[in-house]
Amino acid sequence: MKKERSKKYRIIQALRILSQTVFFLLFFYLLLGTHFPGEDYIGRVEIFFHFDPLLALTTFIASRAFFVSFIFAAITVVLTFVLGRVACGWVCPLGSIHQAFSWLFKKSKLLRPKRIKDNRTAWKYSILVFILVGTLFSLNLAGILDPLSLLYRSFVTGILPAANYGISAFIGILYKLKLFPLGDSLVQFMANLAINPIFLQGFLIGLLFSGIVLLNLYRERLWCRYLCPLGAFLGLLSRWNILKLKIDSQKCIECHLCNIHCETQANPFPLEEWKSAECVYCFTCSAICPTSAITFPVRTSPEQIATVDLSRRKLIFHSLLGVLAVPFFRLSPATRRSSPKLIRPPGALPEEQFLKKCIKCSECMKACPTNALQPAWSEAGPEGIWTPILVPKIGYCEYYCSLCSQVCPTGAIQELTVEEKTKVKIGLAWVNKNRCIPYNLGTPCIVCEEHCPTSPKAIKLVKTEVKLPDGTIMTPLAPVIDTDLCIGCGICENKCPVVDKPAIYVTSVGESRSEKNQLLLDLIKENSGPY
Amino acid sequence: MKRREFIKDLAVGGLLLNFQPGLLAQNKKFPDLAWIQGESPAQITKEAVSSLGGIRQFISRGDVVVVKPNIGWDRIPTQSACTNPEVIKTLIELSLEAGAKEVKVLDNPCNPANRTYARSGIADAAKEAGAKVLFPNPHKLKKMALKGEWLKEWEVYTDFIEADKIINAPIAKTHSLCRLTLGLKNWLGALGGNRNQLHQKLDQAITDLAAFFNPCLTVMDGYRILIRNGPQGGRLSDVKLFKTVVAGVDYVAVDAAAATFFEIDPQDLPFLRIAHQKGLGQIDLEKLRIEKRTV
Repeated sequence: MKKERSKKYRIIQALRILSQTVFFLLFFYLLLGTHFPGEDYIGRVEIFFHFDPLLALTTFIASRAFFVSFIFAAITVVLTFVLGRVACGWVCPLGSIHQAFSWLFKKSKLLRPKRIKDNRTAWKYSILVFILVGTLFSLNLAGILDPLSLLYRSFVTGILPAANYGISAFIGILYKLKLFPLGDSLVQFMANLAINPIFLQGFLIGLLFSGIVLLNLYRERLWCRYLCPLGAFLGLLSRWNILKLKIDSQKCIECHLCNIHCETQANPFPLEEWKSAECVYCFTCSAICPTSAITFPVRTSPEQIATVDLSRRKLIFHSLLGVLAVPFFRLSPATRRSSPKLIRPPGALPEEQFLKKCIKCSECMKACPTNALQPAWSEAGPEGIWTPILVPKIGYCEYYCSLCSQVCPTGAIQELTVEEKTKVKIGLAWVNKNRCIPYNLGTPCIVCEEHCPTSPKAIKLVKTEVKLPDGTIMTPLAPVIDTDLCIGCGICENKCPVVDKPAIYVTSVGESRSEKNQLLLDLIKENSGPY
Repeated sequence: MKRREFIKDLAVGGLLLNFQPGLLAQNKKFPDLAWIQGESPAQITKEAVSSLGGIRQFISRGDVVVVKPNIGWDRIPTQSACTNPEVIKTLIELSLEAGAKEVKVLDNPCNPANRTYARSGIADAAKEAGAKVLFPNPHKLKKMALKGEWLKEWEVYTDFIEADKIINAPIAKTHSLCRLTLGLKNWLGALGGNRNQLHQKLDQAITDLAAFFNPCLTVMDGYRILIRNGPQGGRLSDVKLFKTVVAGVDYVAVDAAAATFFEIDPQDLPFLRIAHQKGLGQIDLEKLRIEKRTV
């Protein structure tokens, strides 16, 4: 008998690595390209998300409305039906990262793979059930653990800002070494990339991501094995696929190499124990087999090999857990009274609908030209963690920009034209006369008025009498807000020269999207008839 | 410069010093200000420069030139919050014709630079003309001794310091604090740091800055001027089509002339009075030789 590794499957394995690289680069390219493109409208940079059937399903159930762009998810579903979890093994950019790090850890002997027979692969199904049950109650938590959402968010708020900081420091060194032309061109290159450098939870989200990557030290592609809800979903869909593992018992020498090196614990050997729902078709087993005993012929039989371990008892238990969790996620003071800091991007749906659709992916935060959109922590309650809020101290809403609304993959932020966007109020500005320079020092300032983007300006300068500590009276021009004209963009707060705690600030009251969070009842003003 | 030339210049200079300074002024070949009106921004810019004796009066072969437009706001040309891109393009083309080694265009804007550069049309126009369009580079900020009366030191982009020649190319707009923002105020765009704190003594600050930067030529874009809601405008009704360019070496005089676009007496603008008192330039338009033409 010939003892030789299969050439064919080694080529397929190489193709798989190529495919993973290409898709990862595509994902990264679209991510890096999500910034002001030089014109008002950006293309479909968010397209990756529309191939994700988990996000399609959860936003569909949670919001009871189908978002047309998610039609692409059908491609992934059909692909998985026919060929199994190839999307996990050949396409998923997060999976590729895990595989790359697993390989790295194996090569550096930090990870020594061994044969594992445990049932922890079922965890991800529990997570999936938990998430899906929540969506029945309009609780959309999919984005927290969905691999695309998680990866995008981690890159935007953690990895890229950190890289940006590192590169900036490196450029600083170049200038110290008097390598000016190189430094200059790097600065211009980075300015063109327009990476948003500051995120409130960049450290936490970056840390979580690093943790998930480091899990590969314990098991290869641990995330894909035990945790990924999308992987679980595709695993369930892959039940009837036609790419079936085959082991030639004549050639097999029972060395167990395939089991040891199986990326996702699918247990190729013995054949009866192969879990097709776990297999991501990385073809490592067939390529590594020293006698070329493992092949993946197209066939329908045996129809079932080892099914997903989802007993009825577990299913009911995790569903119950999901139901019980819903009220806890809804414990937020924001449901009683609008949170002043909950300033949503322009075009955001009313809060309740917004939360049903937002998948916390950070697309909007990447697109924002001023770094204003930040992941929320407690502002929107536990349900709204990592949803976008505008933090005027960091950035402001650029008047002629509607990029965030264009890139939102689920329509949580309704797509607006620039023209429409300029009419949306996201909050209102307030002058803190206790801190404002003219109101206190009698000195001119006008910075907020100068930056106010509306025409006519929402900040008016009015001569105001001010008493100085020595009793002299001054009459400087001081800012007064016209609440009808103010759109709450926050540039005034952002540019206020009172650096530590701006003397003008924006709160969410008056936002167009909300009926309740309003200052004046205009209705009463207009028709004060019968009463 | 060769030794012989140096000695020759010294001799000529020494002879000239014996006469009244008025002698040079009287025999001036070129006017103090060129005030050109016309349909095309490029054409009137070109005419203004040639009325002053042509670009070679200002730019020499091998110079590194910085053209400083106002690219402060995320606005399109018709909204007239930034310098007209055609004016900038023309100035770059002229400088390169005069043999400039390199022309750089940069400004530190109020809105994000990648937006203002693109939407103002200046980035494309300047690149087309052959200039280097640079985003403000924080690594090039350096605290400089400005030696102003009020502003002693501030962070400045060293591109402006390293340049051989600077051309200031502002746009005329209204401003709620100094009433008008013209050429002198344009220098705020060459600074880093907390610029918004300069507003506490803005008139003083901008005269200090103008003296420090000392451009070889100032070309005031008055093709479209912002008569309301400055310095950003927004509505097209805030804009007045004025079809004028004023250029001159005396940057205070250029601003004084531009004040009259808005029917404001230069004497009523505190920053111009301060600049005049400091001896930076003339604000009495009667005392200036102005060449007014329509092309």
